[in-house]
Amino acid sequence: MRPPPSPPENAAAYEGFVLLLVKHEPALRSFVRSLVPRWEDVDEVMQETALIAWRKFALFQPGTSFLAWAGSIARFEALKQVRKQSRDRLVFSDEVLELLAHEGLEESDRLERERAVLEECLARLDGPERELLQISYEPGVRLHEVAARAGKSVQAFYKTIQRLRLALLVCIERRLGEEAI
Amino acid sequence: MTTEELQRAADAWREGTIAPEDFARLESLLRSDARARRVWRRAANLESALQDWAGRDAGLSAWLPARPTARRHPLWWAVAAALALLASLAAYFVGGHRATERTVARLTVPEGTDRGCAVLTQAVDAEWSGPQNPPRAGETLNIGSLALRAGLVQIDFFSGASLVVEGPAVLDLVSSWEAACRQGKVRVRVPPSAHGFRFNAPGMKLVDLGTEFAMNVDPAQPDADVHVFTGEVIAHPAGGAELRLLGGQSLRGPVLASLDPKSFLPHGQLDELAAAQDSRRLAAWGQWSQRVRQDERLLVYYPMRHFPEWERLVNNVANGNDKSRNGGAVGAVWTQGRWAGKDALEFKRPGSRVRLNLAGSYDAITFACWARLDGIDRKYSALLLTDGYDPGEPHWQIFENGSLMFSIAYPNPAKPETKRNQIYYSPPIFAPANSGRWQQIAVTYENLTGTVIQYVNGREVSREVNPFHQPGRPIVFGACELGNWGLPTASHNFPIRNLNGAIDEFLLYQAALSGAEIAQLYEAGKSER
Repeated sequence: MRPPPSPPENAAAYEGFVLLLVKHEPALRSFVRSLVPRWEDVDEVMQETALIAWRKFALFQPGTSFLAWAGSIARFEALKQVRKQSRDRLVFSDEVLELLAHEGLEESDRLERERAVLEECLARLDGPERELLQISYEPGVRLHEVAARAGKSVQAFYKTIQRLRLALLVCIERRLGEEAI
Repeated sequence: MTTEELQRAADAWREGTIAPEDFARLESLLRSDARARRVWRRAANLESALQDWAGRDAGLSAWLPARPTARRHPLWWAVAAALALLASLAAYFVGGHRATERTVARLTVPEGTDRGCAVLTQAVDAEWSGPQNPPRAGETLNIGSLALRAGLVQIDFFSGASLVVEGPAVLDLVSSWEAACRQGKVRVRVPPSAHGFRFNAPGMKLVDLGTEFAMNVDPAQPDADVHVFTGEVIAHPAGGAELRLLGGQSLRGPVLASLDPKSFLPHGQLDELAAAQDSRRLAAWGQWSQRVRQDERLLVYYPMRHFPEWERLVNNVANGNDKSRNGGAVGAVWTQGRWAGKDALEFKRPGSRVRLNLAGSYDAITFACWARLDGIDRKYSALLLTDGYDPGEPHWQIFENGSLMFSIAYPNPAKPETKRNQIYYSPPIFAPANSGRWQQIAVTYENLTGTVIQYVNGREVSREVNPFHQPGRPIVFGACELGNWGLPTASHNFPIRNLNGAIDEFLLYQAALSGAEIAQLYEAGKSER
């Protein structure tokens, strides 16, 4: 898999594309995360999405929402990825995925605000809790592998992570006021 | 479903461990309940943001040292490295990292789950039948059967008992205290510590009382032959009485016999053959090494030769022998490499490293080396790292799960004061079972297509383009290190990255070698035929 060549006359377009992609990458990533099971799937879908978006970038109309445009590509790629797995895992039906995806793009602003206050909420955890989260979410690290290495306390590990995530969600919620969930 | 239940179900779904009925419940909830879908997306959003945060913190900001001016000053690097080491040691032992280190230790110490019972210590002209990945010298052998088609091997059991086996042979490794021979010629040495080692053959059980004995099992013959050279063995032949065999005595099946000791595997034969093979391999490699160093694409080539009068010199022999690219060994210890008579550098102490400095900027690179990893006891084990982690500087290391890890970072176009880390992981390569053996590892990267290809023992193991790749950004080095990380910030969580192992031969090209070329490097340097 290789990205398209970038001849000199394309350099400006490429730069514009990269700026947009980088700006919206966290939103796209979060969107894809809600649709596919594993981080590897997220990475693969993101990579495919970036490549296809670049190939079709001439079709993107400046001034319209890049996130909506690239999001539709990501949605399609995520569905493709999920279908590929349908033989050996339990996967959601297209209907459920479409619902999740459609509404997900609509609430992307809200989700962005939630991401923006995450650091403030992380700061309220104590050091070891933050470190635990950091170890668990570092790219390339899989939660169940970290958990498995915790030995006897796999269950406790999961509980702790779930508790921390819940605490963060509550904290984020409070900081953003009472927008209904 | 509460948020907590939803989270639990989501985790199980992602792990692939969700029960079908729970999945059905989850899916029907997501289909019918808009609120559940929002919670679902918020959780995914949080996870995504957490990963972004964790990666940023571990991968980037903390990797940025305040560059001391010493970096630019060649005479000062040793002092700077020593100071940095002191600082990182201090941070490690007394600083705020105790909790992290403890957490990491608690969470990442893997259970020793392999079923190893012996080590394949030597192999001469060995051909195996059966397994897809035949065992290689230095590797741990698991409980199970081994079929040696031809050649001579030495198997040292964890109990201390040692076998020399000549193929064709079929052995069953039962435990570190027991083995059986179904076919072949075997010579067994049992030191006092392994008294009681049991060795069985069809129709015969032997218990060793501290001896050296040999056995021939020929499927064409009805009985196995045993000869005791020294010491004492208790034999339990099927259908015969228990016998005590002393030095010089032989047994054919259940009865004492007078057998020619010369019909058994002679003592020391394997060592002689192995030494002869080593010197053949070393000579062939030496000739190849003379040729390959002429390659104009080579920037640095360390064959790893120890000059006793220049203990710290790591000599660069890449075309023209540019002395400014010589390495300096700091705290690294010379040891034996792939063959007797071949040197290598060991990086076992936290301060071990080879310093080098490489000016210029490049469009493509290849790193290739022969490495022996004895264990993974760090989150990151260094192969080649630049000091710090400035834009365009490559880092090559082994991740704690045994994956090869290549990374390079460039400024984030949207936020130029921050960086985008492009990390490439291979599938896990290193595991306890293959520790201690020499492996060739290599990576190529070129900045036009952005393809990173990683290799192990001449074979491609991963190929990847990072989504953040942009063509044409330069690759640079400056001061860098083999086997450790030069100048990490004191606040970094994982400042000590010395390789628990050794490096024998290191090549750095200013080009992305082809798969065929990497395979040639492997063929020329592999430790055994």
